[in-house]
Amino acid sequence: MRPVWFAILAIVCSEVPLRAGSAPICAQNGAVCHSLPLADLLDRVIQQSARVQGISNDLHSEFEQHFPPSRNQIRRQKCHTYNILTPDGKENAQRLAREELTEVILRLLGAWGDPLSQLHHRMAQQDQEGEQEEEEKQNDFNPLSSNRALEMSDMVEELRNGVERVAEKMQLLGVISNTLRDLSSPDALVSSSSSFSKRSEFNVMDHQDLLYCFRRDSNKVQSFLRILKCTILTEQNC
Amino acid sequence: MMRRDNGVVAILSLLALFKQGACHTLPGKPKLTSCRSPDKETFTCWWEPGSDGGLPTTYGLSYSKENSDTVYECPDYRTAGQNSCFFNKNDTSIWVNYNITVVATNALGRTFSDPVDVDVIYIVQPHTPENVSVAVLEDTEVPFLRVSWNPPHKADTRSGWITLIYELRVKLKGEEEWEEHYAGQQKIFNIFSLRSGGVYMIEVRCKPDHGFWSEWSTATYVRIPNYIPREHSMWILTGTFSAFLFIILACILSLKRQSVKHCFLPPVPGPKIKGFDNQLLKNGKSEEVFNALVIQGFPPTSSDYEDLLVEYLEVYVSEEQELIMQEGKALQDSCLKSKISSSDSDSGRGSCDSHTLLMEKCGEGTAREEEEDSGRKEGSSQTQRQPVWENMEEADSQAMEIHSPDSSDGRVNTWPSVFSPNLQCSPGPSEHGLTETTRQLYLSDSLFSTSANPLHSELGGILLGKNPPPSLPPWRLEAHSEFKISSMESKRPATGQQLPPSKSLEYVEVQRVNRENMLVLQPLSRHSQEPFQVQFATTREDYSKVKGVVSDSVLLLQREMVDDQCTCDDQEREWPEEGWHADSTNQPEGKMEIHTTVTPAQELGIFLAPSGYVDTATMLPTL
Repeated sequence: MRPVWFAILAIVCSEVPLRAGSAPICAQNGAVCHSLPLADLLDRVIQQSARVQGISNDLHSEFEQHFPPSRNQIRRQKCHTYNILTPDGKENAQRLAREELTEVILRLLGAWGDPLSQLHHRMAQQDQEGEQEEEEKQNDFNPLSSNRALEMSDMVEELRNGVERVAEKMQLLGVISNTLRDLSSPDALVSSSSSFSKRSEFNVMDHQDLLYCFRRDSNKVQSFLRILKCTILTEQNC
Repeated sequence: MMRRDNGVVAILSLLALFKQGACHTLPGKPKLTSCRSPDKETFTCWWEPGSDGGLPTTYGLSYSKENSDTVYECPDYRTAGQNSCFFNKNDTSIWVNYNITVVATNALGRTFSDPVDVDVIYIVQPHTPENVSVAVLEDTEVPFLRVSWNPPHKADTRSGWITLIYELRVKLKGEEEWEEHYAGQQKIFNIFSLRSGGVYMIEVRCKPDHGFWSEWSTATYVRIPNYIPREHSMWILTGTFSAFLFIILACILSLKRQSVKHCFLPPVPGPKIKGFDNQLLKNGKSEEVFNALVIQGFPPTSSDYEDLLVEYLEVYVSEEQELIMQEGKALQDSCLKSKISSSDSDSGRGSCDSHTLLMEKCGEGTAREEEEDSGRKEGSSQTQRQPVWENMEEADSQAMEIHSPDSSDGRVNTWPSVFSPNLQCSPGPSEHGLTETTRQLYLSDSLFSTSANPLHSELGGILLGKNPPPSLPPWRLEAHSEFKISSMESKRPATGQQLPPSKSLEYVEVQRVNRENMLVLQPLSRHSQEPFQVQFATTREDYSKVKGVVSDSVLLLQREMVDDQCTCDDQEREWPEEGWHADSTNQPEGKMEIHTTVTPAQELGIFLAPSGYVDTATMLPTL
């Protein structure tokens, strides 16, 4: 009888410290990362955005190889994120407050969640169609492109989460005020995605234009993040 | 008239055109070569003019922004030089697509270039890094280069607007191949593994994370000071150390030349001849050399010979003594054995060796030693011996009287066999030990050996042996040496007596010794004491052993055999029994020669001549 009690006690005791001690550095599902300093968070986010930018560049250049830019004229369509006002220069960006900057970043990232997943789906569809119809030019996609589109979509999602954590951390630290709008609210999401889905040109917009737009926006995000970091942290860390 | 005037004007204008010698056309199509932004805030576009068409041509650049149809004129044609257009900060919008067109205008018209879409973020090419400095630093006596630089002043990296990554390249002056190194975002870089005394050129360039590489900075020259590379210094150290060791080793070897030589080239042992003197040989006097080889005492002369011989005489006194003797046999044997086991190099002699050994074993008395000493004297003169002889003779009688209760006259048993078990030290009726008598026996041997005259020595020995101090008990003397037995002039008939063959010991009694060096022998028998004269004449080298007497006139001689089957009582003799063999020498000397018999079983009859001599010449069929 006694050994059984001891065993149970031991198990319980061993489990409790595990739970108490093992707090993940950045838990999943929206938990707040408290253990990492802000500088490290920003570095991680910037690295992530760099990766996103890299992939978007690769995809775009791949498209340009397959489809020479003979259709320059057609690319007059606006990117669906054009309504998001972004600073167009360094001074303008620096003039923005940190909260605004953060908001812009989050908006941009939020606006691209949906389109990217749709892009991936379309590309996958075309790959499947391409297997059946080998003669169509449009289906001359590298099978890896659809995978990369999927990867890109996931990364953007992670990046967005990361920036949200940074924003929370900054609000926690008092770096920025709490006037930041909750961009994860359904309203914001709807507004951005609806603008995209409502566009009739969505179906017309081919992949190339999407990729062009995304490439630019990823660059924006990265630039803004870097500026944000340098304004928050001291000059030495920049 | 009017028509004629118009025609003339036309002709004249045509002529004027021709006079100029050029065909005026529209200007050629200009071409936009490149647009670059050094800092992501401004940018410049350059174009290449086409043919001018013979007319002065002006160029202009017009652009429109994305999603706008407004066409703008280039704001600045001069800042960037000829055929360029510079867009300042106000005119530059990032993340905006510019559609730029160059137009060439001349009198005849305008020509547009192909439009180009430009987005500033993709055309960033910074200037070269500035303030490239190279310092020579030392890391534990090995120099290395530390290159440091600054970003171009126009690029704003401090605010994070532009992020630059750097690259540098190094080469030795005069070489062709550059060695490139990627430095990332750092502004300091170390270069190692430099050649001592070399002059290096270093260049640095940079690039934004998405953009174009800048030009290489102007080369910076640096000279490496002379130093010894670590590997070389190690080799130098090793070399000097080993040289040092080598020198020391060479010194040691030269000092110990001989021993080293001996070790590696062992000398071939040469023949060594005792007494051989190389110097004498070198001197050339062979006589002396060979004389030096002559060893005194070799070959052994007759005088020396006896020294080598140990002669024993056994004198058996009485039965009772014999019994006592048998009791003491064990002791005797031990003495004998010890004596026997010692090797005897002399041939023709029993291996029972030096009396000294036995004497030591059996105890010594000072009296013996005296006698021994006296006996040992190497008196070569017979005269010396004579008195001894005489003394002995006298003593003989005395001794005989003394020690044998049974026999009034001391009888000396000359025992031919080397090992007679019974021989030996008779314990004597009194407490005198066997050893003493034995000692005496051996003493006599020594006396024998030292005597110059073998006969004398023998006899002397015998006699001496018989000359114990008065307190001595009857003793026994064992004689195994060769005998020179001269013919006897004795008047006594020699009567052979038969001794029981079962007895290993057979005694021949020396009754007396006469002047002619003859042993008057008498076979010993408990029952009879008839003297038996046996005369042995043996040469020096030949001796025969009398094993026993079979019948009155038969002597059992023992053949010289290694494995003696001596019927001596139960006792094994380990040493080779010396059989004496007598050469058949000439009779005229008056000596008899007896040839050894074969086996104990065999009995050879020796018939005594009426003169008393034993003639064995007739009785040796086997030999």
